[in-house]
Amino acid sequence: MSDEKERAELLAALHAAGAASEEDEQELQALLEADPSLEEVVRDFQDSIAALASSFEPLETSPKTLGKIQKKIAQEKGGFLSRLRSWLAKS
Amino acid sequence: MAEARPTDLVEAMAGGDSGSPLSEFYALYSSTVLALLMKMLGSRAEAEEILQDVFVELWRRAPQYDSSRGSVVAWVVTVARSRALDALRARTRRHGDNQLQFFSERHGLGTDSGRPDVLVSSTRWHQALRQAFKRLSEDQRAVLELSYFLGMSHGQIAEALNLPVGTVKSRILAGMRELRAMLPIIHRSMVA
Repeated sequence: MSDEKERAELLAALHAAGAASEEDEQELQALLEADPSLEEVVRDFQDSIAALASSFEPLETSPKTLGKIQKKIAQEKGGFLSRLRSWLAKS
Repeated sequence: MAEARPTDLVEAMAGGDSGSPLSEFYALYSSTVLALLMKMLGSRAEAEEILQDVFVELWRRAPQYDSSRGSVVAWVVTVARSRALDALRARTRRHGDNQLQFFSERHGLGTDSGRPDVLVSSTRWHQALRQAFKRLSEDQRAVLELSYFLGMSHGQIAEALNLPVGTVKSRILAGMRELRAMLPIIHRSMVA
C-alpha cells in the first residue's frame, strides 16, 4: 500500500474511532474532496465501530420511556423545529 | 405483515410521523442504545434520561439521514455516543470525575450477562458480535475503548497510557482493520 493510501486509511480510522484531532479532521476532509472513493473506507470503518458499540447485551427499557419521547416530540411539533424539519426534508 | 426496513422507518419519521414508525424504530434500537449508554455512563437513571434525548434527536434529524453515508445502526449509535459524551463532559465539569478510572473499573467491553435487566433473548447478532470482537488484542481494544467510549483523542490516550502517539495511532488503525475484517463474518452468521 502506498504511503498516501496508508495515511488516508489512518485518518479514516482515527475519524471513525473518534480519536482524530482537529488537524486530522481537516486533512481527512481535504483528502475526501480530492478522492471521493475514500468515503467507502470511512463508511466501512464507521459501520465496524458501530457494530462494536452495538454488541453489548441489550437492556430492557422502561415501558414508559417511549411515551415520554412521543410527548416531547408532540411538544416540538407545530413549533419552530417542525418548520425547520420541513425545510430540511425539502432541501 | 412484513416488518418495515429500518431505512423505511427513518424515511417515515423524516416525513414527521411520530406514531407507528417511531414505535417500531424504538422497538428495534432502544435496548441496544440503552446498553451502550449504560456502558458509557454507568448510571441507569442517567442512561434512561439520555435515551429519551437520543430518540427525540433521531426523530428530529431523520430528514438528514443519508443511507449512502452509513447504515441506520451506525447513525443511531453515532447519535447515542455523541449524547453520552456530552453527558460525560458535563459530569466532568460538575464533579471533575476521573472517567478513565471509572471506565476501567467497569471492565470496558466485558459482558453484562449477570445483570437482572439484561434481555434474556440476547440476539444471535449480539452473540456473533461479541464472539468476533474477542479477536481484537487487548492493546487494540484498550485504545478503541478510550477513543470511542470516552472520546479521548490519540494525544490524550498516549498521555493516559504513557505510550508514544505513533504507537496509539498504529493500534487504532490495526484495531479498526480487525473490526472491518470481522464484518463479513458477522453478516454470514446472521444469514446461516
